Amino acid sequence: MRRRIVMVLCCLVMILSAAPAMAKDFQVGFIYVSPIGDAGWSYAHDQGRLFIDKMDGVSTSYVEAVPEGPDSERVMLNMARKNYDLIFATSFGYMDPMLKVAQKFPKTTFMHCSGFKTAANMGNYFGRIYQARYLSGMVAGAMTKSNTLGYVAAFPIPEVIRGINAFTLGAQAVNPEVQVRVVWTKTWYDPATEKEAAKSLLDVGADVIAQHQDSPGPQEAAQEKGVYSIGYNSDMSAFAPKSHLCAPIWNWGPFYKEIVDAVRNGTFEAKPYWYGMEHGIVDLSPMSAMVPADVQKTVLAQKEAIKSGQMKVFTGPVKDQAGTVRIPAGKTAEDGELLGMNYFVQGVIGTTE
Amino acid sequence: MFKLSAYKRQAPRPWSACLIFLAAVALSLGVSALMLKLQGKPALEGLQLLFQGALGSRWSIEDCLIKAIPIFLCSLGVAIAFRLQIWNIGAEGQFALGAIGATWAALTFPDQPGYILLPLMAFMAFMGGGLWGLIPALLKLRMRANEIIVTLMLNYIAILLLDYLVYGRWKDPSSFGFPMTRTFSANAIVPKIGTTELNWGIVLCLVSGLVMWVFFRFTRMGFELKVSGENLNATRYAGLPYEKLVCFVMLFSGALAGWAGFIEASATINRLQPSIMVGYGYTAIVVAWLARLNPLTIGIASFLLAALRVGVENLQLEMQVPAAFGGIMEGLILLTVLAGSYFNEFGFRFRRPS
Amino acid sequence: MNTELIIPLLAAAIQSGTPILYATLGEILTEKSGVLNLGVEGMMITGALAAFVTAQATGQPMLAFLAAGLIGAAIGAIHAIVCLWFLGNQVVSGLALTIFGIGLANYLGTPLIGQTAPGFDKLALPLIHRLPVLGPVLFQQDVLVYVAILLVPSLWFFLDKCRWGLNLRAVGEHPEAAAAAGISVLRYRWIGILGGGCLAGFGGAYLSLAYTHLWTNGLSAGRGWIAVALVIFAFWRPERALLGAYLFGGVMAFQLRLQAVGTHLPSSLLLMLPYLLTVAVLVFSSWKSRQADAPAALGVNMEPND
Repeated sequence: MRRRIVMVLCCLVMILSAAPAMAKDFQVGFIYVSPIGDAGWSYAHDQGRLFIDKMDGVSTSYVEAVPEGPDSERVMLNMARKNYDLIFATSFGYMDPMLKVAQKFPKTTFMHCSGFKTAANMGNYFGRIYQARYLSGMVAGAMTKSNTLGYVAAFPIPEVIRGINAFTLGAQAVNPEVQVRVVWTKTWYDPATEKEAAKSLLDVGADVIAQHQDSPGPQEAAQEKGVYSIGYNSDMSAFAPKSHLCAPIWNWGPFYKEIVDAVRNGTFEAKPYWYGMEHGIVDLSPMSAMVPADVQKTVLAQKEAIKSGQMKVFTGPVKDQAGTVRIPAGKTAEDGELLGMNYFVQGVIGTTE
Repeated sequence: MFKLSAYKRQAPRPWSACLIFLAAVALSLGVSALMLKLQGKPALEGLQLLFQGALGSRWSIEDCLIKAIPIFLCSLGVAIAFRLQIWNIGAEGQFALGAIGATWAALTFPDQPGYILLPLMAFMAFMGGGLWGLIPALLKLRMRANEIIVTLMLNYIAILLLDYLVYGRWKDPSSFGFPMTRTFSANAIVPKIGTTELNWGIVLCLVSGLVMWVFFRFTRMGFELKVSGENLNATRYAGLPYEKLVCFVMLFSGALAGWAGFIEASATINRLQPSIMVGYGYTAIVVAWLARLNPLTIGIASFLLAALRVGVENLQLEMQVPAAFGGIMEGLILLTVLAGSYFNEFGFRFRRPS
Repeated sequence: MNTELIIPLLAAAIQSGTPILYATLGEILTEKSGVLNLGVEGMMITGALAAFVTAQATGQPMLAFLAAGLIGAAIGAIHAIVCLWFLGNQVVSGLALTIFGIGLANYLGTPLIGQTAPGFDKLALPLIHRLPVLGPVLFQQDVLVYVAILLVPSLWFFLDKCRWGLNLRAVGEHPEAAAAAGISVLRYRWIGILGGGCLAGFGGAYLSLAYTHLWTNGLSAGRGWIAVALVIFAFWRPERALLGAYLFGGVMAFQLRLQAVGTHLPSSLLLMLPYLLTVAVLVFSSWKSRQADAPAALGVNMEPND
């Protein structure tokens, strides 16, 4: 009995001593699914946040490592109640919670990354990183001698599958004999498992390793074996200078600035935003000197073609692993098809489960 | 020279348990504040944000209560097992199996009316969690396998089983390939109470807690359990049915955690997805121990630990403190309470050396 | 799977199993003294962080390795204080240390994610590394692998032939009788716990210094718990711990290679293999083990008497 009274008293004391928070810049909140230090997905978004943090009259804040589900809903509610003006949620699983919060707070603007639902005050956004993966595939296809490329893949979700397919198509464009082997680690950042996965690919003869995870584990494995590697999310050459060729990278800063400006000016539209290289939101990191000059020229030319819209990555004929034609010759895949991609193209060895 | 020596008390003094608990929590808070300071963050403001985030408004208290529901159910289950000195570390996996069972019912019979579907889901969750608790019990009884390791490994296996289902046959066709089931039909969602955010799961908690209290206080089996827990050898001599007790205890222990999974999947997330696993099973162990296995104090401790989680989120938002801070505090509180309970059981006196 | 994949798999099994081996040997030491330490996971991960930080700061991997042992022992000291001085329940104390250790390592280590530290590279032992099969599998590993292998006979010698080791085992079997014979129960249990914590820290150091040169939250990924299970599989004998650890390392490496070769099995099921194997091995070992294997007084605190 006494214990309960004491505990209730403690709670009361704490509530009474609480002080309210005040802020009146343009408040932007970010919610990340993993720690920002992962040098990967969340890190790239956080770099974008730092970019807009420098703008006048804008202050930003973030919460990292928020599990998808009710915790994320609570964090977003918290931000909305504190009168944040704009909230960015950077993982697919935040979609439904964000929608629920958006419906309760019509004055706040919400932007969800990698999803597909919208509301009057909620848009979604993503980047066509597969374009950069295509280019990295070209580099890999040109540099491989064994014609086996290894891909350390994270989770069997469409964006990863799309990336693998784009990588394969790019490699096949310069080297039709190439094969891509896939190993799933079911991790976003576990250097030990990812390095082991890379080693297993190296053991089956891969001599270029690409990855979808955020850790440099696979890069280390490639360097130790003396072969090449393709990074992701940021330039990973610091981890594996002797093997890192290039990396598809994100550049969210300018996009975030565009949205902040739009909301402040009142010109914001709640719609899907899927920008690509032409907006600078995705890019290929500078290629290492190990890549021969003629290869670099071809790749850069293709990059310009993609930027100008002349060349589209997912243009038919594209067959899946069983040989069925998925994109007919001459046609380009629609965004809807790309967003739900669940098959591997021919030339990929692995399951999509 | 006088020597300080310890002696075991005949009966621990009741108020000292409370004092020790408070002292332990205060010590943990102090050490945590120190850690904040060492990282260059203002310590006092940090603690303030912690409390404000958890208890500073009506909705945050609601959030704490909502979060406390699964923690409470898991802790109740773990406490039953601990009473018999069965170390059930598998609440996490039993939670997952309960969610899987409930999801199966929700996905197979989406059109049944709520008053049929919800009890069916609860039943399947009971079976799923109960099964996952029974397996280690049987292995312990038949093969003398240490339940700590078995339950722990079953946690990992359960999570992977959940992954397998949501990536495979249960994947929502309209989710663009992301690992999650379809959203549950409205009949499969445990409704909220009135205009609050709370769901009826809280009633489940109250009922379970009450039943457990009555069971241990007034029934014969409850008495047998309590006695067996205190002295396992005496149990066998007295002819108490140890094997039956073990199975009974682990079945219900797992089933309660399974119900927690059911509530989370149904009321809070409205579908099954891998991120339903947030470590309630492990927090439950901390809560069960802190609360000395008593349903009422388990309720209070669940609320406090839920409040800790909610408060730490606020700390993250306002001061960018890393998410792992909550784990440090949980571990510290448990350690200090554990060490502190020594003073409860043992007194000191100065003795002249003989 | 053809034969040219077996040799790299065996080599990978040894690398993957080495951190588990360190932790298992440590836990054997602790349990032989009669103390159950469930905090191995927490000690491993804090050790990994300590090693990483020290390697970054000093550039000396060996120093970092020793620092990890120190930190692991420090966490072990907390367990010793709670259980030996305050007579706290050993199971709960160990669990609390795991929760605390993981939280502490993740909290302090979050800013370090994405950085690299100088670590150990492979060291080919002169001449013997050219032996067929055994060469690449065993003699082209890094220093820490060799240290772990050498620890096995050392621990055996300590426990079986050395006076201190025998005293430690006596304390684990019959603490009252040992105390009556003048052996300090507290002192040997302290040795057991500190030694165990130190070795667990070494296991963690291997993860961040040799297995990878990186740090992440959750680097240990449950290996500490597998080590606790392996102690039972090993019947508390160091030489069997070697077998068990490499077996586990092998399974963890195997399921990835199965994917690389091109299987149609869903990866979730493959990832279950190490854990299923742990349960199977544990059940089988417990069923077969003789009562005499486990230290008789394991997990029971000694109460002070007047």
